[in-house]
Amino acid sequence: MHIADGILTGPVLIAGFAGTAILAALTMRRMDLEEIPKISVITAVFFIASLIKFPIGPSSVHLILNGLAGVVLGWRAFPAIMLGIILQTVLFGHGGVTVIGVNSIMLGGGALLAYLVWQLRLRFEFPKREVVFGTLAGATGIISSGIVLALALLTAGEAFVATAGYVLAAHVPIMIIEAAVVGACTGFLARVKPEVLAGQTGIRAR
Amino acid sequence: MPLDIDRFSHIESTIQRWDPRVKIASLAILIFGVALLKTLPMSVAALVMAFILMTISALPYHFVMHSMQWVILFLLPFFLILPFSYPGAADNHLLGLSFTWEGLRLATLIFVKALAIVLTSFALFGSARFDISMIALQRLKCPPMLIQMLLFTYRYTYTLLEEMRRMNTSMKARGFVPGTNGNTLRTYGNFVGTLLVRSFERTERIYKAMLSKGYRGEFHTLVTFRSGITDYVKAVIVLIVAAGLVVTDFSGHFSVATDGWY
Repeated sequence: MHIADGILTGPVLIAGFAGTAILAALTMRRMDLEEIPKISVITAVFFIASLIKFPIGPSSVHLILNGLAGVVLGWRAFPAIMLGIILQTVLFGHGGVTVIGVNSIMLGGGALLAYLVWQLRLRFEFPKREVVFGTLAGATGIISSGIVLALALLTAGEAFVATAGYVLAAHVPIMIIEAAVVGACTGFLARVKPEVLAGQTGIRAR
Repeated sequence: MPLDIDRFSHIESTIQRWDPRVKIASLAILIFGVALLKTLPMSVAALVMAFILMTISALPYHFVMHSMQWVILFLLPFFLILPFSYPGAADNHLLGLSFTWEGLRLATLIFVKALAIVLTSFALFGSARFDISMIALQRLKCPPMLIQMLLFTYRYTYTLLEEMRRMNTSMKARGFVPGTNGNTLRTYGNFVGTLLVRSFERTERIYKAMLSKGYRGEFHTLVTFRSGITDYVKAVIVLIVAAGLVVTDFSGHFSVATDGWY
């Protein structure tokens, strides 16, 4: 889910770029040399995983996985998602140059919130907590992005109130699908290679 | 395959020969100018300009249209929602729904502007190889770390795409058929998890290989850029067009889309 060119007003577009610059500077602080290739490769994973389509009747929705990015990369999920959005703009030819900032805040902000939800698991102790909090993080990533998208549409004028409502409603089924996929994925990673998960061994959590 | 903006970047044209640094700077200004437009006539003028740019860039029609299909599909809902949800008195009733011309005007404005921006971006990024565009961006003072990460991600996207295809084939060979059910969701979760585990291990090897080749956080390139008088002439033409569109749009000669068609 992302917003297209030609809808938002100038000030909102500029605010999007300014907010993205600030968040990127904050989330990329103290980045080691070693992290550059690592974050890039994981970004590539998320980039191609978002090409996976889940069938719903005759149509399909594609995975977004911004919540999972938060779970795996922690704070570094924001630059990763920003990279993904820039790459998508340049490679797919679907436009989006003017909304790189707004879309980064929308999806990257969702990833950061998902990471915060994911970290809450450390306060609990029960057998399947990675699955439960993975599911919650996946849902958080999508629904918070949906809310930001709806708010962005509202800034474009009164005419978009109904559109914003439909957009938010459309995020509910996507949220359910993502929550299930991310929950299954975090459960799998916790069993197979827990050090991939942010904050699991303390290596990647900063 | 949607991931191949580079496919026709070798085609010789006035745009392709343009110094990428100057090209990116001036076309980006044009794109942001178009994003600010509020009146229909100027948006249509911007669309005409975008078509002219496309024609000059000599990119094949089918290549551009393939991507445009998706953009149009994405924008169609606005035509279905806005005319029927625009606040205010309804002009007509269509199948029991209140229909407003203002809503239709707004949807048309968004549609025309978006098409103009997408076509201009095509001329911008389709006329040079991805890595050359990125190096040009770095010369335009984009943070080097960001550019490096973009180049890495781009490079590994193709490697991982191959890996994903292999995993997909083996899943099919074991009888997996995606459907609207919980099993498919779980399988996709494990699929992404496997991809992450493999890539995580791969990143360790990549980093060691890079270190052993002397990586110290910088990329070196043999690409050099030269800009001459013709590059700047092209830039001036584009900037005049951009300024013309924005100034005419704001001058009040035309009414904004919600108040009238022109």
